[in-house]
Amino acid sequence: MPSASAIRVQIESTLAQRVPAALTLKIKQAPEVFASGMAEVDAMLSGGIPRGTITEVSGPSSTGKTSFALCTLASITQLGNACAWVDVSDALSPETAAASGVELRRLLWLRMSAERRMKLADKPWSRLEQALKATDLVLQTGGFAVVVLDMSDVLPQHTQRIPLGTWYRFRLAAEHARTALVFLTQSPCASSCATLSLRCEPASVAPFSSEGKTPLFERQQYQFARERNRNEGSPFMQRKPAQRVSWLAETLWSRVR
Amino acid sequence: MYAVLHPSNFFAQAAAHQRPELRKRSFVVLDGEPPTELVFAANHAARSQGVEIGMTRLQAEAFSGVATLRRVIEHEHTAHATLHHVACMFSPRIESVEEQPGTYALDIRGMDLLYGDAGELASKLRRSVMAAGFLANIAVAENFHAAVSLACGRTGVSVVPSGCEAHAMGQLPVTALHLAPEHEATFAAWGIRTCAELAALAETDLIARLGQAGKKLHSLACGAWPHLMFPIEPSFEAGLVERMELDFPIEELERLLFLFSRMTAALLERVRGKARAIAALRVVLRLDGGAQHERTVRPALPLQDTATLLKLVQLDLETHPPSAGIVSLELHAQSAEPYRAQHGLFLPQAPEPGQLEVMLARMRKLLGEQRVGSPELTDDHRPNAFRMVSFEPPPPRQSERQSLSTPVALRVSRPPHMVGVALANHAPVRVFWDGAAYFVRDAAGPVRVSGQWWSEATWCREEWDVRLENGTTERLCRIAFDPRSRCWYLQGTYD
Repeated sequence: MPSASAIRVQIESTLAQRVPAALTLKIKQAPEVFASGMAEVDAMLSGGIPRGTITEVSGPSSTGKTSFALCTLASITQLGNACAWVDVSDALSPETAAASGVELRRLLWLRMSAERRMKLADKPWSRLEQALKATDLVLQTGGFAVVVLDMSDVLPQHTQRIPLGTWYRFRLAAEHARTALVFLTQSPCASSCATLSLRCEPASVAPFSSEGKTPLFERQQYQFARERNRNEGSPFMQRKPAQRVSWLAETLWSRVR
Repeated sequence: MYAVLHPSNFFAQAAAHQRPELRKRSFVVLDGEPPTELVFAANHAARSQGVEIGMTRLQAEAFSGVATLRRVIEHEHTAHATLHHVACMFSPRIESVEEQPGTYALDIRGMDLLYGDAGELASKLRRSVMAAGFLANIAVAENFHAAVSLACGRTGVSVVPSGCEAHAMGQLPVTALHLAPEHEATFAAWGIRTCAELAALAETDLIARLGQAGKKLHSLACGAWPHLMFPIEPSFEAGLVERMELDFPIEELERLLFLFSRMTAALLERVRGKARAIAALRVVLRLDGGAQHERTVRPALPLQDTATLLKLVQLDLETHPPSAGIVSLELHAQSAEPYRAQHGLFLPQAPEPGQLEVMLARMRKLLGEQRVGSPELTDDHRPNAFRMVSFEPPPPRQSERQSLSTPVALRVSRPPHMVGVALANHAPVRVFWDGAAYFVRDAAGPVRVSGQWWSEATWCREEWDVRLENGTTERLCRIAFDPRSRCWYLQGTYD
């Protein structure tokens, strides 16, 4: 009667061609992350956004998606990495990016053509198609630490019609290139392809400051909820992080005050 | 064995080469800034009339029938090129004699199988030079300096058998050795007039009186001073050209790609031979109808990869296609030191330069020239002022982390959307945008901005930061009133 270990070796050697090390436990590596530079959010995300996977940041307008993405890019470009921003609506403000601390020379900005003065409700297929092609090319080139696909102004009914195969392809390409792919959308669309999914929610509204003669918009409170984090079950995590976090963003002129 | 061709009075011949009608007349070439021009060169007829080098323009014009020309450097370059071209037909090893403009020394060792013995070769060379429009003296000798001196000092063809250099040079005046003025004066004082008289002096006594220069002059007079030849190397950069003529006009670029591939590979082969890379490729397409289409592909870093260069050329030509069928192709390459980078295990990753270049070219084709790159803020007070520059990330390097508070990002509307605004007490209370009505919950402003009143690019507006609400959604926006068009615009959304 052969022992259990002998049977295991026999099974593994038979299946070696199809499934290498079929009955051996795979040693899990600690996920590699990029810190976003915001202490509260990094604590919730167990260090930051994961590398080589898709991170989806979704929520309605004015809920802090762009501020979060720019802050993350700032900390990553300051580490000396190259990043790309695929801008479906051509809405990025370089002034804000510079104020966030992004090294603009390390940022590749791809602005989709918005030559037609059409409303957002019109079909933005050409721009979306361009953006998906551009993202694909950037991922295939490799060497970019983060690629942000900004679809914040695209209506959910349009993003949800993008074939699921696209997201699977992007996930594989991101994994291969060790690139953190970040989607900014109004509603989640990448479903199970996203390793980390964050939902941005309207937070408590602070009224405009009225210390001076006229009221002044000074700061805004944002709130993030973690919908999914595949790295959560990692044995490297000491304790379960909070599900929801609030953070504060200030306007540029309030820095001067 | 050296053959030296020396066009006597080169500058006058170069001037007459461009205007053959002057050959039978006396003329002078003037150089310098008017009115202080001086005679720089004169032909034989003019000198026989009494014109001398260094005369002023007025003095030269005093002689009747003497034509005056201005010196044109380009004509001299053309003459040099013509003589060099003729010399190239007789030997691959040619040296330009710097002391004598227009004089070339040819290494003719082994050329007897092609052109006969030295005398025949010299005669053929002289005939070829005359056919090219110049009159030149030819001298053939075993010693380089002897050949140069004989070509400068004797008219016509002189062939010196091996070992007879000293005898051949004996009749030449010592001035044929290009003496320094003090040596010329010394020899005149000694009564030494010919090379034979100089060669007859004892070498040690000459060195004792003139130093090491004495040894050199004695050897030159004997036709025994050695010489190390430095042949003219053809310019490497000028040779990086590939041309192809087509039998009939072709419009589809795809059909030309295999030709481009072959030409690029040939250029790269030559460039690699010198351990260099291609820094720029200039594509010149001659089109049906006589027009010319020219594009330059300049990768961020010098490349040694045919596939990448070919892809860049293809993408560039697809983005800027020629207007008619192509009848001939030309590829001009510019070489540079290849790119070398020191990578490190602990440095952040960066895109590979060749692949990045191809990706950017693809993006420019997909999105447009001005829609790909890095933003660069301009020194301007206009809100949202920036320009696009090409994406060339600096080498990976960690910079100091700045501890700034997180700013509220503004998403800019390009171009600004027109919105309807209802006012109460000069402040917005309702905003109508995109078919929806929003209540203004908070409003901060107005912030008045204006600038460039002196030009047509003037801007002037009142900006408001508003928090909009319509029951289901809430938005934080920046709206602006433009007093010139009296319209309200949505400048952007805070997100």
